Amino acid sequence: MDARLCVLLSAALLVRLALLCFGVYQDQNLQLKYTDVDYHVFTDASRFIIQGRSPYDRSTFRYTPLLALVLAPGVLLSSVCGKLLFVGCDLLSALLLFQLLVLRGSARSSATLLCGLWLFNPLTVAVSTRGNAESLLAVLVLSTLLCLESRRRTSAALLFGLAVHMKIYPVTYALPVALSLSGAPSRGRGLVQNLLRCVSGDLLLFAAVSGAVFFGLNLTFYCMYGWDFLQESYLYHLTRRDIRHNFSPYFYLLYVTAEHRWSGVLALVCFLPQMLLLSLASLAFRSDLPFCCFIHTAVFVSFNKVCTSQYFLWYLCLLPLVLPRLTLSWRRGLGLLLLWFVGQALWLSPAYYLEFEGWNTFTLIWIAGLLFLLINSLILGQIISHYRPAEAQLKKTD
Amino acid sequence: MVRFYLLAIVLCFIHHGNSKEDCFPSEWLKSVSMSVKISKAGFHRDLQYRVQWSKTDHDVQVLLVQKLPSGVYMDEYQLETLRRDTGLEVLLDSKVDLEAPEYLSSGFTALVFLSGKHEAVVPVHGRYHRPSDSSKRVKVDIESPRLLLRSDQCTETLSPGLRRVVVDAPCTFSNHSICSWMEILDLEDNAGVSLEIPVGDSSMIITVCVGTVLTTVLSCVYLLRNIWKHGSF
Repeated sequence: MDARLCVLLSAALLVRLALLCFGVYQDQNLQLKYTDVDYHVFTDASRFIIQGRSPYDRSTFRYTPLLALVLAPGVLLSSVCGKLLFVGCDLLSALLLFQLLVLRGSARSSATLLCGLWLFNPLTVAVSTRGNAESLLAVLVLSTLLCLESRRRTSAALLFGLAVHMKIYPVTYALPVALSLSGAPSRGRGLVQNLLRCVSGDLLLFAAVSGAVFFGLNLTFYCMYGWDFLQESYLYHLTRRDIRHNFSPYFYLLYVTAEHRWSGVLALVCFLPQMLLLSLASLAFRSDLPFCCFIHTAVFVSFNKVCTSQYFLWYLCLLPLVLPRLTLSWRRGLGLLLLWFVGQALWLSPAYYLEFEGWNTFTLIWIAGLLFLLINSLILGQIISHYRPAEAQLKKTD
Repeated sequence: MVRFYLLAIVLCFIHHGNSKEDCFPSEWLKSVSMSVKISKAGFHRDLQYRVQWSKTDHDVQVLLVQKLPSGVYMDEYQLETLRRDTGLEVLLDSKVDLEAPEYLSSGFTALVFLSGKHEAVVPVHGRYHRPSDSSKRVKVDIESPRLLLRSDQCTETLSPGLRRVVVDAPCTFSNHSICSWMEILDLEDNAGVSLEIPVGDSSMIITVCVGTVLTTVLSCVYLLRNIWKHGSF
């Protein structure tokens, strides 16, 4: 392994260990706790599993029992074990990013730099040291992509099935993965013949293996925990209509129409932009899977009915893969990044005053949410229009 | 006959003597006072209870039975953490949904055990309420809690009287067997507290629908155009 990468990983580990120690101190001595509520939810559910009970006895535990099982050592040994696991996943994600970047043609030095962007991103550091499980999913998604890029399709399918089981959103990658595994449609042939070519042996194998993993795990847990498992792990997320304030542009709409007759129709209408964009993006960028997945996740999060800051990590872990082929100038890139932070700040201020001071800032939060959507769309549009896929870069060098 | 009367008088004195050794004599009860305040602002508040009583030669266990409306909730997991950190003992009588809005929730009762302490601070959170077209805030009233007293050391049978009744309630936070408690009625300063929760504006429903749909359509069209222009089909 690269010496520079080793140094980077060690530095990242030290920073995280320091924050973990600080977190223990803060939790014990200050009123404002460092550890996130979610971490307590996970550990309580783990404790219930060890006692032979259902993890769903813990209210607001809306994840797979696998997560509670994985964190069980934390209950038996020390409360900080779970966080150490998430920190380890952060570092593993950086390694996977490095390998993916090198595989896609980046120089080792620039790949190390880009991994640094992930490792020292304050959001990444804060999320895993506070005890959120997002880095676990980042590892699964990145390893799926790495296996696909290096043509290890069975492993990719296994990891993909596991990723979708852990959190629903990677299921949107199924379409671009299917399109990239299917035969390339030829202009000379008709539509029907092209569709038949799509169903290649690779695609069938991928679908079979990932389907087996996904449904196998679900069946096992359904047998163990019954309807609760399906309801909390999946159905809740699909039908969730959180009317409490969050980054989503739909938040206020869902709040004021919560008891109206046509709120169901509205909720369905909210799905349409996501569906349209995801379908078209899958078709357009199927040749570059990491870029396609990045666009998918960014669109999914920005147009979702609920959006919290943890969701940003879902696409931030893929951003280092996109950056090498981006032709944005430094100034424009930094400008867009600053705009993204300004958009968040404009939302966070009225939200703070609403929740902690009792001011009625609902209209401001609504407008800030819409503005954040416009900013996110602008940034995504700029990324799409300044992205040069590998073939275009090869043509340039020819 | 005279002996009978003498016996009756002696028994009477003994009876009065016993009631003077009553755990909570009426004179002492006059010294008991309770105050409830609500602090902080916004959706997350603290209910500050303070119960005062004059010195007595036995311990005094206090239980506050606080009825709470559907507009607020307490987080049992937060209360559990507080119990471990600060020794606060609060029991909830039912499972409280932490996320439901006010119109899909019901009230509940919290039992606050003050074991020898004179005050307790209990966090309480406001729920989201129905949007309103006339006011920016909604007022949630929290009535004054019922004050119950008991003593571990003085085990005389509690007797009701003026301003007091005997009720049954759990003995301690951890021991859920039922004990007899003395409820003190007619306390001064029992008006209760209230908090104001901001609510959405339902008169803006059309504006919000149109504004949100327009913005999402605009963003969607912009992105679709970009994807169409720069994608390879």
